[in-house]
Parts: sequence; structure tokens; C-alpha cells
Amino acid sequence: MKIVVCLKQVPETNDVTIDPVTHNLDRRGLAGVMNPFDKNAIELALNLKDSRDDVQVVLLTMGPDDYAESLREGMAMGADEGVLLSDRAFAGADTLATGYVLAQAVKKIGDADLILFGRQAVDADTGQVGPIVAEFLHQPQITYAANLRLSGANEVTAERLLEDTKQTLVAQLPAVVSVRSELNTPRYPTPRNIQLSFNKPLTTWHHDDLDLDDSRLGQAGSPTIVTKVYAPEPVKRALTPLTGTPNEAASQLITALKQRQLI
Amino acid sequence: MPATTAAAEKLLLQMVDDYTQREISPYDMSMDAAQDFPKGFVDKLTKTGFLGIMLPQEFGGAGFGPEVTATVLNHIARGNASTAVTLEGHFKTIDQILKYGTPALQQALLPTANDRIFAFSMTEASGGSNPMGISSTATREGDHWVINGDKIMITNGGLAQVYCVLVKTAPTELSVFVVDQDMPGFSFGKREDFIGLRGTPVGEIVMDHIVVDNDHLLGKLGDGGVIGDSAHDDARILMGAVLTGIMEHELKISTDYAKERKAGNTPLTELQVTHRKVADIAMRKETTKLLYQRAAQLKAAGQPYSEEAAMAKAHGSRAAVSAGDDALQILAGYGYSREYPVEHLIRDARAMEIAEGTVEKMRSAIAKAEFTK
Repeated sequence: MKIVVCLKQVPETNDVTIDPVTHNLDRRGLAGVMNPFDKNAIELALNLKDSRDDVQVVLLTMGPDDYAESLREGMAMGADEGVLLSDRAFAGADTLATGYVLAQAVKKIGDADLILFGRQAVDADTGQVGPIVAEFLHQPQITYAANLRLSGANEVTAERLLEDTKQTLVAQLPAVVSVRSELNTPRYPTPRNIQLSFNKPLTTWHHDDLDLDDSRLGQAGSPTIVTKVYAPEPVKRALTPLTGTPNEAASQLITALKQRQLI
Repeated sequence: MPATTAAAEKLLLQMVDDYTQREISPYDMSMDAAQDFPKGFVDKLTKTGFLGIMLPQEFGGAGFGPEVTATVLNHIARGNASTAVTLEGHFKTIDQILKYGTPALQQALLPTANDRIFAFSMTEASGGSNPMGISSTATREGDHWVINGDKIMITNGGLAQVYCVLVKTAPTELSVFVVDQDMPGFSFGKREDFIGLRGTPVGEIVMDHIVVDNDHLLGKLGDGGVIGDSAHDDARILMGAVLTGIMEHELKISTDYAKERKAGNTPLTELQVTHRKVADIAMRKETTKLLYQRAAQLKAAGQPYSEEAAMAKAHGSRAAVSAGDDALQILAGYGYSREYPVEHLIRDARAMEIAEGTVEKMRSAIAKAEFTK
């Protein structure tokens, strides 16, 4: 069984600037870390690998050369290999253009039974790339999985955790699944596995290594237009102190909660 | 340095910082009060592979060198010094088995050092800094050695499962043997109620007719003094690293507080009395860091490092106590309160003016080294 986990490297800091021309996040010169939600997808893949002998976990990302650091971290967690998609032609891609290149890379990797994503990246927060890859691959997709198991030789069952309900879905493999952080607690890479990860294969594929339609790539292949980015005004909240004896303060609290119909 | 080595070290420290922030720092205050590591704490540390950081890969470890190992303890001590000191006691013991153990002993023992804590024990009730004053013995009986004695104040005593013990093999001959808690005749004694580093167990072992074969001897008969000195040297580098971490913690508490607090209408950050203290803490921290890193570099390069290791510990321990005192004064009443960690950082640092050789002994060693130049 081959599992491909797609991941993204995101800025380590919240102190990012906006490119004045594209209105996109300007990631140049910022130290990066693996998107935290993607670690849940890797942990799921590694749990499946721990439970049976035939699982191969391949990590896939698209970005500049330093994105290899996140691949290496995932390999230190236990993934078998990493593939970095890096080319000037891919730069400036929105979720659609990114999803297209990732899908073409998944095809080249070949025979992937399960393609996993974190629920979203913490920098742009769209959660769109997983579903887009599923569409390009013409595969079933389950998003926001908080629980997942292989329920048959060729089948996966997942519980989706939605805002006010749960939904259980069964999909035929190959399938694309994005996972929620409630699914698991990602393992730490052990010091020994950090060392050994440098013996594992990490491959970089450039534009010419993939079968690509150039009109779908980079800025030109990205229909998303960011017209304005702004920080929301902070919401000012009134603070009402509870005063008097503990009994009086408790009465005030109960009254306040009742007024707001919270109890 | 090869690119992969630098990348591995970066990834390791990233993991260590993440682990320290999430799994160690939250328990810094509570383990001081409880005088123990929290339940499951050491198991998780073990499962995450911390015990094997400096153990060569051939024995199942990660094989990081002396400089990285010391830096790891520096980073851990920013969150909690007890955790770092427990690893220090383990690593210095592994180091002696690597230097002086027979291949057979290394093959038998070292793979287990990934899962079991090791300890080195010299001190007895009759003295710590005077090895010839010990009364524990190993007596040859046929093909075996029989060990009797009582060791106290062992870092990780009671927690560790494997112990290197300094014993007399003749009235004026010191040797080191390795014993295991599972051996018949081995038992634990009392745990010390120390004022600092309270997460780390420091305790006693009792050896009553423990029988070991010749492979459990480190080095040759009579090498005990040399091996003991070597264990001290290795520990002192790591203590310099731990002390640096304590001072980084003290500095952060001081600057965070000064940025928030005013004296009258004047922010503490604008007062010269604060400047003086913060600058002194920062300089003490940085000088200790340079000393331990220098000693670790010499060790990694295969050069003598005993004097530099002594400097790192002697300078660093007093520096961390003084830095803690300055930090306490910046926080004033809050610094004197148990609600803030400053007071326990001072107690933690104070231990290292005594452990692994007193600072007085360090100064003698440094002076003697200088006289020979």
C-alpha cells in the first residue's frame, strides 16, 4: 500500500508582510516550518505503516529548495521518502495551480492508494488544495476526517467532524482524505531517526520532470485575484468586574449568565 | 561541517525546543514542589529517544557528538534543569563505558542505554572529594569479583538501572565496575531531600555480595581514579551547558518582567539599576556558554579538555547563582515568591557548585594546570 502525504512549509512567524503587487503573503526571507496540521496526516500514514508490513509513505511538497527541510522532518518522523516539486515556473501558484502540479506529481509517483492532507495550511487557511487534487485525479475525497480506518481491502471509512454534526463516509481506494487535528497526536522525530532520515531518498522534480500543461502553472495559471488584504479591527469587549464577597460575586455571575441566556 | 550534519543538528534542536516547550517546561514548577518527575515523564523522554542522543549508532543511538549533546542539554535546561541533569548523569556514564568498557561489555550494555538510565557513583558517607576514603570493595573470588559497599548521593540513584561504581580492589587501588539493579545483592537506599534540582532523584545504592565477572571491570585494575576524573570532566562540560540554560531562563524572566513593570511612573527598562543587572546576567550567561562550548569542541577534536571543563562548571555555577540573585532582585517581592521560578533556579544552580567536584576543587585543578604551563 502506498500513501502519499502532501505537506506545506509555512512561515514560522505570524509577522508576515503582504506583497504590494499580488496581495499574497510575502514569504521571502522568512524561516519556515512544516504546517502543523500536516503532521496529523503524516501521523495517520505512520500509524497505518506501524499496523501492517506493506505500507510505503511518500511525502510530497511544492516550493523552494528550503521546503526540503519539512520533507526531512517528516522522514525523521518515519516516512520513507520525500519528493520536492521546485521550479520557477511553479512560483505564484494559487490553490488551483498548486493542486494541478501536485496531482500530476501524484500520477508520476504512481500507484498511490491514499493521498492525505492536513485540514488546511495555517498561513492561508483555505483547505482547498486537497479537494482540488482529488478532482484532478478523479478520485473520491473525504475532508475533515477525525477518524479513519481501512475497512476493507480496497476501502476506507472515515468520520467527518463538522461544525454541529458527525458524518461517516466510506470511499473506495484510491482516495484523497484531509484530516483534522483531533485525529491524533503527531509523534516527535527521535534523534536517531533524524540522523537516519538523511539516508532516505529525497528527490527534487523540476518542470521538465512532470507532464504539465504550462497554461495551468504559476501566476498565469492561477485564477485567484486577491484585491485587498487587511487586518480586522480588534473587537473591543467590555469587562465587568465581579465585586463584593464570594457569595455576592457568584450571584452577579449567575445573573450575568442568565441575562445572556447561557444558563 | 557537512551539510547533512548541519541540517541534522538544526532538525534535532528544533525537535528539542518543541519537546521542551510542550512536554518539559509545563512541569518545571510542579516537579520542584513534588520532588520528582511527573508520572510517565521519564518514559516519554525515553520513548522519544533522548537517552540515545550521544550513543553511537552502532549501539542503536543517534550518534551526535559532544558539542551537539551539550547544546541539547543547554536548550532543555531553559525549560527545566532537573531533566537536563538526569540526562547529564546518564551521558557521562555512557561516555566512560565507551572509553573504558571491553567490547563484550559495550555490546551487552550499550544497546540497553537507549531504554535504561545509567548512573556513575563515587561518593560514600566517608567522603566525596576524597576517593581513597571510600570503603566499598571488590574482592576476587575465583573467576569472579564480589562487590560490597554503600554508595550515596548518586545522580539518578533509584531511577537508573545500571551503575558504574568506584570500589577498592586493594587498600590503595581504586577500580570501577558496572552493576545492574537486577543483580542479586543490589538494593536501593534512601533518597536525598535536596533543596535544588528536585526533579532529579539523588539516592543511595547498597551492594551486598554482588557477583560480577571480569568483563564488568572498566579499564584495568587501578584505573578507578582516572575513570572517575574522566567522568567528572565529561559531566562538567554538560553542567556548563545546563547552567547556561538556567541563566537563559533567568534572563528571560528578568527581561519579560522589566518590560511590563514600572517603578512609580518609570518603566524598569529605563532604570540604570535594571540595566546593570540585566547586562550582568547576560554576560555571565554568554561567558559560561563560550566556556562549555570550548570544552566540548576540544573533546570533539580529541584534545585535552579537563581544565576547560572545570572552568565551565566553576564559572558557570557561581554565575548562575549570582544571575539568579540579580533576577530575584529585579522581580523583588515576586522574585522571592514560590509563585515565580527564580527562587528555585537559584537553588538548582547552587547544586552545581558542589556536584561533580566542588568549585574549590575546580579552582585547584585549574591552578595546577596553569602552574604546569
